[in-house]
Amino acid sequence: MATVTNEPSAAPSRRTLMAVLSFLVVFIVLMTIALFNAPTMGGPRVMATVETYLTEVRRTALPFLGAVALLAIVLGLAAARVVYREWPNPKRRTNLIMGYLFLAPYLLITLTFTVGVVLFALYISFTNYDIFSPPQWAGLANYARAFQEKNFLQGLHNVLWYSLLVVPTQTAAAILLAVLLNSQNRFKQFFRTIFYAPSVTSSVVITLIFMWFYLRTGYINYFISNFLGTFGVEWKNINWLGDPRGLIQLIVQAFGGDIPSDQWYLRGPSIALMAIMFQNVFTTAPTFMIMFLAALQDINPALYEAASLDGANGWHRFWKITVPLLRPIILLVVVLGTIGTLQIFDQVYLATQGGPLGTSLTPVYVLYQEALGTEGPIQMGYAAAMAFILAVLIFFFTFLQRRFIERETQLY
Amino acid sequence: MAVRTQTLERVAPQEPRKPATHYVSIFLRSLLLCVVGLILFTPFILAALGTFKSNAEIIRFPPTFFPAEWQVENWPRLWNTDLGNGGTFPRWLLNTAFLSVTTAILQVIFCSMAAYAFSRLEFPGRDVIFNFMLATLMIPTAITLIPAYVLMTKLRLINTFWSLIFPGAIAAGNIFLLTQFFKSVPKDLEEAAFIDGASYMEIYRNVIIPLARPALLTVFILQFQAMWNNFLQPLLYLNSADKYVLNVALSIFQQQFKAQWNLTLVGAMFNAIPVMILFFIFSRYYIEGIAYTGIKG
Repeated sequence: MATVTNEPSAAPSRRTLMAVLSFLVVFIVLMTIALFNAPTMGGPRVMATVETYLTEVRRTALPFLGAVALLAIVLGLAAARVVYREWPNPKRRTNLIMGYLFLAPYLLITLTFTVGVVLFALYISFTNYDIFSPPQWAGLANYARAFQEKNFLQGLHNVLWYSLLVVPTQTAAAILLAVLLNSQNRFKQFFRTIFYAPSVTSSVVITLIFMWFYLRTGYINYFISNFLGTFGVEWKNINWLGDPRGLIQLIVQAFGGDIPSDQWYLRGPSIALMAIMFQNVFTTAPTFMIMFLAALQDINPALYEAASLDGANGWHRFWKITVPLLRPIILLVVVLGTIGTLQIFDQVYLATQGGPLGTSLTPVYVLYQEALGTEGPIQMGYAAAMAFILAVLIFFFTFLQRRFIERETQLY
Repeated sequence: MAVRTQTLERVAPQEPRKPATHYVSIFLRSLLLCVVGLILFTPFILAALGTFKSNAEIIRFPPTFFPAEWQVENWPRLWNTDLGNGGTFPRWLLNTAFLSVTTAILQVIFCSMAAYAFSRLEFPGRDVIFNFMLATLMIPTAITLIPAYVLMTKLRLINTFWSLIFPGAIAAGNIFLLTQFFKSVPKDLEEAAFIDGASYMEIYRNVIIPLARPALLTVFILQFQAMWNNFLQPLLYLNSADKYVLNVALSIFQQQFKAQWNLTLVGAMFNAIPVMILFFIFSRYYIEGIAYTGIKG
């Protein structure tokens, strides 16, 4: 408090006091959040009282807390500096206080449940951790292991196929639906509501209904056998969600060959996985349709008129005007679609549990199993490592798509 | 925007002069739309009819369209099903509705507060935090899933509704949506209020909130639907029968009564009907919300 004695008037001392106070607030809040997210063991014995938990933190998590403390000091000093600078000006002071008061709920929640949690995940991904014992440093072992275990690799293989087939299909379907709706003026609102309504329900509801459709005695088999029956072709009912035969395998089989099961990665997406894909497109296409419809309504109709006068037909107008102008939304839908499909979980959990023969395993489903220990011991560290590998993959694809689609946009 | 609507109006009066083929084309297009709409609704129609079938009929091949015999008692039977430990359908419906409404209200309050700060107040660090928020939007849920579960066990929030309410009280996407909306609202009114000596709190409460009502309703509905349809988090955090939400209860139910498809479908209907009704009442806000998410790209 040396500065206080140096300053003669009362105002600067309050200024210093507030700066120190803001440092303390930032420091204490960050450290409290870090304390919750400290990599220690949990379990009922440790969590019995605050004291037992703090003992455990002191025993195992001091390096982690030290690192966070450094960060907290830096941020605290920055805050103190800002407060010290802004305090003398009443308007800027009010702005500062009110600004952070309005942001406080957001900051507290996001620091606890997003930032703290991600830092914790990053730390435990380098350890062996099962909640019931302290994390053991393991270096890159978890990451290396992910690339050796069949479950995760097969999950990655499956979701890559899944994205590859679902994202283009759902985007194209959404554009078609939107264009179809947009060509209609009278009942546009009505049909928009009707088209979108099935998509507001939860994935659980849709999955349950489709599981029933996909039964050996279900509507899908019934529909196909009737449809093929009109052409005199006989259809043998299949159990869609239990059929591990892959797409490429089926093609090879049609020519009399086969792909052995140790070369599962050549078999392509299984019938079970493709059944889930179909159901997914069914519900996501109308959602993305709404986005395209909003963008279509912003296209100046004069453009179409001018093109018509120049003799362009509907096909040309669609490819030369509609699609280029929709590019930003196409990018968004493709990116959102990729992010969503790479993290698919609900459908797999309900409909197939990763089966048959692991052909519908997905990374999120595998990491759920590992984290909860449904298929063996709890392995949180390994699960976290898989999550980061998946995240890197998602970032990579988003980046690629952005580059690719944005560069194409430049041409127009 | 004004220019665009003008051109639209100028085009419109020409329509009546069009020949009869024009009306045929409109009719054909409407027919096509009806067919597509029907296809999109088919799963629900078939499932709704399936809820009235007997358990033998529902898995018989070839499947029937209308039930041979209307078993209306499937609905009350499911309603009265008891999984033990207080796990009943009315209970799960109430849990789901409670969580959806609570987090939606909290988001309307907290997200609008943050959006107000981002769009109207000038203070050091604002833009850094805003960009940081946009960056957090990119974090896949797969990453936060496991550590959030650990955090919940440490905070002893597992199997309490708090585990869903705390993280659900804020959504970066909705803050972004509201920020964009607030930025599009002219500042005149607030400046007038400011000159009259109103504080930021008063302006937020008495000027911004009433003006932003449609956007706030959109946020409410987006979060309501997101929480109602959430599956993974409730599956992880809530594990006693009296705490289940509908989605989790349905999955448990389906696993326990594997062959009873008629009852499972009734459960699916219980889950779907409330959101559908809400959607038909507020469809405009749903659609604006989705379209807004599109515009940010």
